[in-house]
Amino acid sequence: MKKRFILGISVCFLALILSGTVYAAAKPVKLGFVYIMSGPFATYGQFAKQGAELAIDEVNKAGGINGRTVEGFFEDSTGKSDVGIRVIRKLVYEAGVDAVIGLDSSGVASAVTPVMKELKTPLIITHAATPDVTGTNCNRYTFRISLNLNQNIAMAAKIASEGKAKTWTTVGPDYSFGHQSWEYFQKYLSQRKSGLVFLPDDKAAFPPLSTTDFSPYITKVISSNADGVLISLWGGNLIDFVRQGMDMGFFDGKREVLMTLGAATEVLYALKDKMPEGIWVGTRYWFNANNTPVNKAFVNAYHKRFGVYPSYNAHGAYAAVKMYAAAAAKAKSVDKEKIVGTLEGFALELPVGKVVIRPEDHQAVTDGVWGKTAADPKVPIRVLKPLRKFAGKDITPSVAETGCKMK
Amino acid sequence: MDSVVANILNGLSWGMLLFLISVGLTVVFGVMGILNFAHGSLFMLGSYFALQFVRWVGSFWIGLLLGPVIVAFLAILIERFLIRPIYSRDTSLQLLLTFGVMLILDDGVRLIWGSAYHVVNPPQILSGTIAIFSGTYPVYRVFLVIAGPLVGVALWAFFTMTRWGKTLRAAAMDRRMAEIIGVRAPLLFTLVFAFGAWIAALGGVLAAPHQSVGPAMGEHIIIESFIVVVIGGMGSFPGAFVGALILGLMNAFGATMLPDLQMAMPYILLAIILLARPRGILGEEL
Amino acid sequence: MRSYKNLFLWFFLLAALASVPFLLPVYWIMILTEILVMSMFAMSFNLLFGYTGLLSFGQAGFFGTGGYLAVLTLLHGSTSIWVALVAGVLGSGLIALIIGWLCVRRDEIYFAILTLGFGMMLFTIAHNWRSVTGGSDGLGNFSVPEVDFLGVVLTLADPKIFYFFVLIIVLLGTWLLSRIVNSPFGLLLKAARENSNRIAFIGANVRSLRLFAFVIAGALAGASGVLFAMFNRIASPEMLHWSFSGKVILMTLLGGSGVFFGPAVGAAIFFVLEHIITSFTTNWMIFLGIILVLLVLLFPSGVLGSLLETWGRIRKGHKL
Repeated sequence: MKKRFILGISVCFLALILSGTVYAAAKPVKLGFVYIMSGPFATYGQFAKQGAELAIDEVNKAGGINGRTVEGFFEDSTGKSDVGIRVIRKLVYEAGVDAVIGLDSSGVASAVTPVMKELKTPLIITHAATPDVTGTNCNRYTFRISLNLNQNIAMAAKIASEGKAKTWTTVGPDYSFGHQSWEYFQKYLSQRKSGLVFLPDDKAAFPPLSTTDFSPYITKVISSNADGVLISLWGGNLIDFVRQGMDMGFFDGKREVLMTLGAATEVLYALKDKMPEGIWVGTRYWFNANNTPVNKAFVNAYHKRFGVYPSYNAHGAYAAVKMYAAAAAKAKSVDKEKIVGTLEGFALELPVGKVVIRPEDHQAVTDGVWGKTAADPKVPIRVLKPLRKFAGKDITPSVAETGCKMK
Repeated sequence: MDSVVANILNGLSWGMLLFLISVGLTVVFGVMGILNFAHGSLFMLGSYFALQFVRWVGSFWIGLLLGPVIVAFLAILIERFLIRPIYSRDTSLQLLLTFGVMLILDDGVRLIWGSAYHVVNPPQILSGTIAIFSGTYPVYRVFLVIAGPLVGVALWAFFTMTRWGKTLRAAAMDRRMAEIIGVRAPLLFTLVFAFGAWIAALGGVLAAPHQSVGPAMGEHIIIESFIVVVIGGMGSFPGAFVGALILGLMNAFGATMLPDLQMAMPYILLAIILLARPRGILGEEL
Repeated sequence: MRSYKNLFLWFFLLAALASVPFLLPVYWIMILTEILVMSMFAMSFNLLFGYTGLLSFGQAGFFGTGGYLAVLTLLHGSTSIWVALVAGVLGSGLIALIIGWLCVRRDEIYFAILTLGFGMMLFTIAHNWRSVTGGSDGLGNFSVPEVDFLGVVLTLADPKIFYFFVLIIVLLGTWLLSRIVNSPFGLLLKAARENSNRIAFIGANVRSLRLFAFVIAGALAGASGVLFAMFNRIASPEMLHWSFSGKVILMTLLGGSGVFFGPAVGAAIFFVLEHIITSFTTNWMIFLGIILVLLVLLFPSGVLGSLLETWGRIRKGHKL
């Protein structure tokens, strides 16, 4: 009886020691993800989560980060600044994450960036496009791996400068993003070409985000007689605008139309053949713009697992995990300061192409894609034909221009 | 087409859709005294059923026929089990409860249909454009401009000419008196709530070809619906008609004439009307 | 006897709140800070709702006004937190005076909708006046102020120090509110809620009473907004949106509008619930909805209100 008791105790003890050592060896690297997971824009969070999970699985299958497995913690920003700040504090203080990845809304990104200085934790932004977080508002801990607003608009301006349109107007959502898109477009396009007319803001169209009836704005643009229109609407707004615009004769070929986020897959999948052909559309990442093995592997794995082509947000989250893993491998550590140091100037081949994090402002210098919408019987959605690629260095404004001072 | 004419049509078509969405809200408030926060979500459900019936049987019209009926049945359950216990309670509790129902419906829709945007095409006969006023205009919008007043007239006839309609109005004016003369108020309330849901869902089905179907539809429309019924006069359905028309036209012309105030304009209008005529344009003054 | 017991209760509560930073991890200190800020906001709202019977859907407008004015002061005026706080409180009080003057003419649902309208006008200003308010991105990038406490300079960027700072302000606000509701004026407010005609008969001006309550509630909402903006290092337009007002109404009803501390308890329940629900699902809306529906059906007087009612019945039962 007594013997068995002692045996039992020692087995338990042994098990405890073993589990302890196993635990120590497998203490995971923790990555926090903050996206919009609920409400009207939840589709963005859903894509990002899929991309992140795919990347985490791939990293773990390849042996993890420096032999440690990677674990993802997902939080819902709900698209609100106060919630975004709260969940990031939760990730850092409660979950003890080694880095934070994500952010969809520019408002949340602007609010969160200064807080990262206090949390002393690297943040890799994968979607929010406001120039400020790697510009006037930049700091040591904030990075962005995705194309930002200026880079995207620089491509739009290049395409616009090659066209015939003389008088330009815009349809953009009535918040910072829409207004900034229009301001940078005017700036970049007038640098490239002179003699153009830009309609003043009150003659352009800025429908509020909650708009569902775009007919007054369509009428306004049609009757303004502008022959070039920059459209920076996105998501549901863009879908509504395109459908109502089709019916009201907006896409009758009389004006040049550029949609800065028209090639987002969530929009193309919803519209399918209702998306007009021959329209210039931009995106942050296009799934078949690149013939590299890295991209093919990503697109195939993603399509196989989720049944759709990866959206730019799926790519953003995927790319950020891959870049973090590579940086940690190079630094041989996940120490936050070392990661920040390694990420500055870090270069990596990602599905979108070669991405370099510029050390001065932490903005990714990454290639961009625009294209004309075209039908393809093999694919359920509109594809881009012709496809135009822009080298990252040609579309990224100089550091001086961004106004970033790291201190 | 001249832009003024186009904007009149824009305003009318949007206004009529707004009328169909919000008229149920005013009927429910008028009879039951309940400001239903979940009204927008019932509207949204109508759109999702339109989507689902198009997927199942490929027909928009079947969705128009059956979708609102299904939503009305759901509303009967909501009224019977959730709202009925709190009739005697404070208005704020009713708001809170219907707010809770709204959250459940909005998220429930996301669980069933996912969070992606969906598109419903108008039926063949209503798609394309029509030549009108020396220009072209979408057939579907013209259809909305006609459907709105038709539904309005049908409602008006129902309320003033049928026995049921008269009973409803009597109950709205004085519930206790109606009960004394033999009206079964609880049953009546259930039916009114179901009717409000039915017509909200009808608006939802009709809105589906006009805008993308997604889980935020209800949230976006509910405040606008409140404004429509308040400026028109709460409980007055001709008021809802007038309110929707004003808001629709203001939306259309505001985009051109006062673009900076576009977001605030409904609220400014609301404040001016409530301060000048406390019970709305067609509401009865105390 | 009763007052001794109250005093003891107060002392116990204070001791508990003051010792928290030494017991809890940083994240929970921050959550508690947020609960305190929202408690003051909700209790100030309840001066209007619970005591005066006015359901305002626009309190977020004053909350946000306070936040923006404080940040603007820190960016362009003084670097002192006290100046920012005073600017936020006076500014939001003044706006509340103007809006209240118009709104108190209406009651019930019309008052609710009217305040919603004015709140959303303030929201539009914050959202659209980009050159001053920073537009939809909000107004941040100020350096977190320091306070001089008996010659020792403390930075509010430290979560613990900020917690104590918030605790002191919130206690002051709570004390002010409790003085008001227990004064003859508070009794008049309650009487006006029950029967405004009778109050008019005894010579009190119902509108002025309501306006006074509206201004106090607005100013304290502004003070909460200042703290909130300091806490998040930003003033953003969401702070003024009607859904933020809705959140405060929800907290108040959750805790119980008939009890002085009901809204504070509601705020605490809300944050804890949110923390628990979001930790296991992203479909938190459906859970929150179900909980709301159940609470309304099972605890119609709010959690604290219903508990106190039950407690009262039990005590009466013992006496019988």
